[in-house]
Amino acid sequence: MSSIKEKFNQISPSEFFYSNRDLAGFSNPTRSLYTAVREFVENALDACDQKGILPDVHLTIKAVDPDKPDPKPYILTVKDNGPGIDAEHIPLAFGTVLYGSKFGLKQARGMFGLGATMAILYGQITTNKPVIVKSSSDGKIQNQFEILLDIQKNKPVIVKHTTKEISKTGLTVSICLEGDYSKAGNKIRDYVYETSLITPYASITFDDPKNQKFSHPRFVKEIPAPPTIIRPHPHGIDVERIRRMIVESQFDIPTIDDAMIEKVRKDLGLSVKKLSFTSIMDKAKKKWKTLSRPVRVVIALMSFLKMDFEKLNKIKIEDIDMPNKKLFYWDFGDSQSKSVDMDPQSEYYKQLTNTVQGEPLTTFLTKRFQRIGPTTAVKFAEFAKFKPEKRMGTLTNQELVNLSDALQKFEDFMAPDSSCLAPLGAEPLEKGIKKFFNPDFVAVVQRPASAYSGFPFIIEMGIAYGGDIKSGGPHVYRYANRIPLLYDEGSDVVLKVVNDTDWGRYKVKGEPPFIIVSHICSTRIPYKTAGKENVADRQEIERELRLALQFLSRKLSSFMSKRGQAEMAKKRANLYAKYIPMIAEFCTELSGKKKEPNYKKMLKTEIESENKKAIKEENEIENN
Amino acid sequence: MKITKKEQDKKIKSRSKKADDKQKLILEILKTHGAKIYDDLDNGQFPKFSIPSRSVGNIVYDKQLRQYILGNNAALRSSRNSAQLRSFTQLMWLAFFANRLTTERKSSTLRDVYYSSQAFAVEFEDQSESDNIIVDLEAVTSRAREDFHIFPEERSSIFGDLNIEYTIPGYEGKTMNLANHPDGYSIGPSLTTAELVSTSAEIVIAIEKGGLFTRFVEEQVDKKFKSIILNTGGQAPRSTRTLLKRLHDEMKLPVICLTDGDVYGEHIAMVIKSGSANAAHLRELTVPDAKWVGVWATDIEKYKLPTIPMTESDIKRCYDLQKDPRYQDGIWKKELDVFLKLKRKAELEAFSKYGLTNITDKYLPQKLELAKSL
Repeated sequence: MSSIKEKFNQISPSEFFYSNRDLAGFSNPTRSLYTAVREFVENALDACDQKGILPDVHLTIKAVDPDKPDPKPYILTVKDNGPGIDAEHIPLAFGTVLYGSKFGLKQARGMFGLGATMAILYGQITTNKPVIVKSSSDGKIQNQFEILLDIQKNKPVIVKHTTKEISKTGLTVSICLEGDYSKAGNKIRDYVYETSLITPYASITFDDPKNQKFSHPRFVKEIPAPPTIIRPHPHGIDVERIRRMIVESQFDIPTIDDAMIEKVRKDLGLSVKKLSFTSIMDKAKKKWKTLSRPVRVVIALMSFLKMDFEKLNKIKIEDIDMPNKKLFYWDFGDSQSKSVDMDPQSEYYKQLTNTVQGEPLTTFLTKRFQRIGPTTAVKFAEFAKFKPEKRMGTLTNQELVNLSDALQKFEDFMAPDSSCLAPLGAEPLEKGIKKFFNPDFVAVVQRPASAYSGFPFIIEMGIAYGGDIKSGGPHVYRYANRIPLLYDEGSDVVLKVVNDTDWGRYKVKGEPPFIIVSHICSTRIPYKTAGKENVADRQEIERELRLALQFLSRKLSSFMSKRGQAEMAKKRANLYAKYIPMIAEFCTELSGKKKEPNYKKMLKTEIESENKKAIKEENEIENN
Repeated sequence: MKITKKEQDKKIKSRSKKADDKQKLILEILKTHGAKIYDDLDNGQFPKFSIPSRSVGNIVYDKQLRQYILGNNAALRSSRNSAQLRSFTQLMWLAFFANRLTTERKSSTLRDVYYSSQAFAVEFEDQSESDNIIVDLEAVTSRAREDFHIFPEERSSIFGDLNIEYTIPGYEGKTMNLANHPDGYSIGPSLTTAELVSTSAEIVIAIEKGGLFTRFVEEQVDKKFKSIILNTGGQAPRSTRTLLKRLHDEMKLPVICLTDGDVYGEHIAMVIKSGSANAAHLRELTVPDAKWVGVWATDIEKYKLPTIPMTESDIKRCYDLQKDPRYQDGIWKKELDVFLKLKRKAELEAFSKYGLTNITDKYLPQKLELAKSL
């Protein structure tokens, strides 16, 4: 963490990303075109999801000069019907690196909107053209910007800004970049196709450079419930994250100036100018619950100083020494430093301690983490060998590390809250598979939420057989947070689980026409590589994948067995028809007879009976 | 002694009657099986038959017969079972085809069978599938494929004073002395089915290698030791083993085996003596009194033979044979143990170190002498 921070201090984030663009998937014109498509399409879908809008996404790729050989400049445009972005935020959002709105712990396709900026940066580097952003957040005015990035300063340079009237909200982003569509085309088409399978509530169109149009209309009208932002789970936390949470929980002692005093007066509802110290305190006690934190702190200080507002105006707080229970201040009147003792029994003492030293450990845990109650917090403190009332602000570095370790090791925390996840749902997934493959058999399952290292996840899986599916299966469609994963499938955990399966056991043999759709939803997908194309084999995820696949395989097996019985009956009928007459012919000569045995009636009856069996089994499959 | 023309004719007649009888027997066996299938079909039933199981669990060693035989386990093959229907039909075709071969007294090879099937739309995936069906026919009828005029490709050869008389069509009554051609006579269908008439030999020497066979002919081993020399060409084919058995049973000749001094050589002799597990469904292929006279493991030191080290597979073979019930006693066990101890082997040609005729001049006479006491 700290090393990256140092880097940011020395060079601008734009420069840093420019020199590390391979990591973000911009290593060559083929991969870059594909990655850019992904980033913009995913941003569009995420934006719609967050506002509960059924997405209409239009992707267009056109060559600047169609006659030039690849790689060459392309114009990539993605238009959505999402909420748009306010005009004031557009230059920063599209013209700086490390600006984004997708912070917070919940499932989203991208993390911080970084990828889109990388694509813009890549486009600018390869073609020296600005990004064109058209946005309307109110559905009335559309702002159109042309923006360049100043890489050294990490600042947007607005080339042009116009507005016009419009009737819908939405965002259109258009960049010019060096790409190789002849090589990337297949992947991009696959990407659009597979994305529409996992996003059945979206309508996605794609106009490609060869003037082919691919249209994937919406076939599910309900948008899945959006995820909520939640507090972190203790198992998924590290030292740095705790440090930041502590900083958020601490407050500075407010400067006591005229404005502050005026605010305190106002909040206490004091109209009379002069009020004695005791009557201020009385008033404050009555109103305590309605008071804001800074006001409470000022009241607490006053309680130890035993001063009214007039006196307070003539001093300056120097130090609050909590361990020695002393309050130091500078008296402007006497021009000297003074101190008063603080009574640790006082309510006000606690207020000050909270402010200066942070919350006690137990409060910190229950308030800032998910699913920790007071009892668990106390049990944890005992486990971690901390006093429950230990102030978070007083932790040494070593204690922080110990705390972080203990949070990972303590086993009595409840499983992570999964309300931050947004699985697609079994029903839309099934609809999608049926629409795409028109299969003879389909089964889907959504596993209950589980967790790895404090990150909740849900596995959704579907299996389908026959129909329009190509033989040579299982064909595996991998998704993570509604993103299709197309590269590096060899080392993926889903593939591992599928390949470990002995399909013969489930009566699936030969080169079967069947597909598996796997969707992993998590607040953090454990990708193996920075390219985000393959998921690492975390034990918990592997287990859930296995359970899902086993459940579906058993269903497939029962289908196959019915279908197998039907096929067997048909096969038997055919075999009888073919071979029994041959046996009759051979045995007639062998036994020295002139006339063939009288078997034809028997054969006819048997063949009819087998064919009936086949029809019966097939009807059962239909009815299921 | 002069044989009159009349007597000669009579003899020929009696011999060809013998061949006719055998043909009739075979045809009768096939007809019986065929009639059963016919009757099943005629009664409106799926035909079925039972076949002795050839699985490892059903192959047992019979100490009295001194060979491997099949146990009592049998499997039912039914044409109702769709998994068996194809092989059922294949076997029916093969019986039908064997019936034609036997009736017409024509011979064919394993490969022929594979191709002939295609004329009748009976498909075999490959030759190993058709070979397997041939073994099925052998198991069902307890008759060797040669009885149905189906022969393997491999040929071994024979040389020595033995008069035979052909029974195959076109040669009936024709006689031949097998010492007339120094390259020896190939043991094929005509020789296998010929009548053995007379011999002056007193012993059969079965030798593993063609090279040594030629040496023995050149050195007139047949005359010097009153013997018939037979080249097994490695593991002896079944027709050769049948011929050895007939030489032993009909001509009352003892059989000795001379092989390379290694574990494979030892086993070549053993198969001549007591058959192989692969042919456990057949009898009449063994010469239980046959003797292995060399080259023994103990000969390697005794005759100071040049050796080569055993390979891993040689050693593995030794351990495998140690489990075979036939290698539990006598020289079979003793020599096997010595091979394992030496971990070296010697070929028949190793005697050439001491001169090309050393093997026939020195080694063979000593071994023939020894054989009398074995």
